[in-house]
Amino acid sequence: MDAPGPLGQVEVFQALRQLHMTIFSQSISPCGKFLAAGNNYGQIAIFSLSAALSSEAKEESKKPVVTFQAHDGAVYSMTSTDRHLLSAGDGEVKAWLWADILKKGCKELWRRQPPYRTSLEVPEINALLLVPKENALILAGGDCQLHTMDLETGTFTRALRGHTDYIHCLALRERSPEVLSGGEDGAVRLWDLRTAKEVQTIEVYKHEECSRPQNGRWIGCLATDSDWMVCGGGPALTLWHLRSSTPTTVFPMWAPQRHVTFYQDLILSAGQGPCANHWQLSGELKAQVPSSSPGLLSLSLNQQPAAPECKVLTAAGNSCRVDVFTNLGYRAFSLSF
Amino acid sequence: MGAVTDDEVIRKRLLIDGDGAGDDRRINLLVKSFIKWCNSGSQEEGYSQYQRMLSTLSQCEFSMGKTLLVYDMNLREMENYEKIYKEIECSIAGAHEKIAECKKQILQAKRIRKNRQEYDALAKVIQHHPDRHETLKELEALGKELEHLSHIKESVEDKLELRRKQFHVLLSTIHELQQTLENDEKLSEVEEAQTSMEEDRKP
Repeated sequence: MDAPGPLGQVEVFQALRQLHMTIFSQSISPCGKFLAAGNNYGQIAIFSLSAALSSEAKEESKKPVVTFQAHDGAVYSMTSTDRHLLSAGDGEVKAWLWADILKKGCKELWRRQPPYRTSLEVPEINALLLVPKENALILAGGDCQLHTMDLETGTFTRALRGHTDYIHCLALRERSPEVLSGGEDGAVRLWDLRTAKEVQTIEVYKHEECSRPQNGRWIGCLATDSDWMVCGGGPALTLWHLRSSTPTTVFPMWAPQRHVTFYQDLILSAGQGPCANHWQLSGELKAQVPSSSPGLLSLSLNQQPAAPECKVLTAAGNSCRVDVFTNLGYRAFSLSF
Repeated sequence: MGAVTDDEVIRKRLLIDGDGAGDDRRINLLVKSFIKWCNSGSQEEGYSQYQRMLSTLSQCEFSMGKTLLVYDMNLREMENYEKIYKEIECSIAGAHEKIAECKKQILQAKRIRKNRQEYDALAKVIQHHPDRHETLKELEALGKELEHLSHIKESVEDKLELRRKQFHVLLSTIHELQQTLENDEKLSEVEEAQTSMEEDRKP
C-alpha cells in the first residue's frame, strides 16, 4: 500500500465513515455467487463471491461490485427469496430484484410498512423471516409484534402480540410450522402460524443454569432444528429441547452471542469477541476462529446448491469488513466496503 | 500434409546430424565405390574393393535393421504409454467417486454424531430426575399403606356401629322397663285409691 499524501477533507470523511461502519446483515443471492451486506449507514453492497474466490482474484475483487443507498437508517436485516433481495431497517421493508441489482441506479421493486399502532414513531425492523410454504414474510422489531405479510399480494395478514419488549430475532421451526421469536423481555415465544396463537413460552432468564443477570435477560440470537433450539444473548448460550422445554447444554462462552446457527453436527455462534465459535452439541468448543472485526453481528453460510464452489462462511460485525472462511477453519480473506 | 512432413523430416535430419548423415554418406560412398569397382580392372583391387563394398553394405543393412527395431520399440512404447494413460484416467475417475462416497459417509457420520450428542444431552437431563422403578415402588408401598389404613378404618367403624346398636338396645330396654315400672306404680296407686274409696262408702 503506498503511503497516503496529505489527505483532503473528502478522504478524511471517507476514512472516518469506514472506521465507524457496522455491518448488520448479510444475504446470499439465489445463484450463490453474490453476497449482499447492509450497514448502519443504510447502504447495501453487493460482493461477487465467485470472483473473490477464483484463482485469479485481485484486490479489486474484494471490493463491492456495486454499493447503493437502500434505506435512510441502518439496514438491520436482509433475506433473499429466489428472485428478490428483501431488506428492512427503519420501519420499512424494501424489495430489490437480484437480476437488476448489479446495474447502476437500481430502484426498489416495492416498499411496505407494516401497520403500526402509533403513527408517531416508526419502530425499526430487527428481523425478517421467510416462510416458503406459505409464501409469507414475517417481520419483527421495535413494536413488539410479529407481522405476517403475504408476498404475493403484499398485504399484512396478521399481527402476533405477546412480547412485552422489542423483538431481536426470529427462527422458523419447519416441522410444525411454528415461528420462534426472541426479544428484549427475555422470553422465547413459539407461535403457531395457522392459528396465530402463542403455543409455548420459554422464559430463559428464569432458569438458573443459563441466566446471567449481570448481562441482562435479552435474547440476541435464535436458531432451531425442529426438536432443538439454541439461544443466547444476555443469558448464556444454551441448547434447549423444545418439547420438554428443558435446557440441556450450556455453552461456556462469557461473551453475549449475537448470531447462532446449526450446521451439520455443529453449532456456529458469533458475538462480542472477535471469534466465530464452533461448538459441538455436547458443549465442547471445537474451534474458535478469529476474525478481523472486534465483534461479530452476523454469520452467513452459503449453501446454495447452484454454486458449490462458493460454499463459504462469511462473518461481519463492528467493522467495514466481511470475513470469508473458506473451509470454516480459518479466515481466508476479507471483503471490504 | 506431405510438404509439412517433408519439411519436418529435413529439419530433423539437419538437427540430428549424427547417424542420419553418416548413413546417407555411406550409401553415396557405396554407389561411388560400386561404379569405381565396375570400372576398375585388376583382380586383387577389385576383390578388396568388392569386400569393402560388402562390408559397407552389411553396415548399411545393420543400421537399417537397428532403425527398424527402434521404430518398433517406439511404437510399442507409445502403446504402453497409452495404456498407462487410460489406466490413470480410470483410477482418477475411481478416486473421484471414492471421494464423493467418502463425503457422503462423512455427512452420515456427522448426522450420527449429532444424534448421539442430542441423545446424551437429553440423557443427562433425564438422569437428574429420579428413577421410574423407584418411584413406582414408592407408589406401590404408599398404595398398600392406604389400603391397610382404610381396612383398619372400616373395622373400627364396624365396631363403633355395633357398640352403638347395642347401647341403643340397652337404653331402649331400660326405657321400656322404666315405663313398665311407672305404669305398674300408677296402676297400684289407682287400685289403692279405689279400695280406699270403697271403704269410705261402706259404713
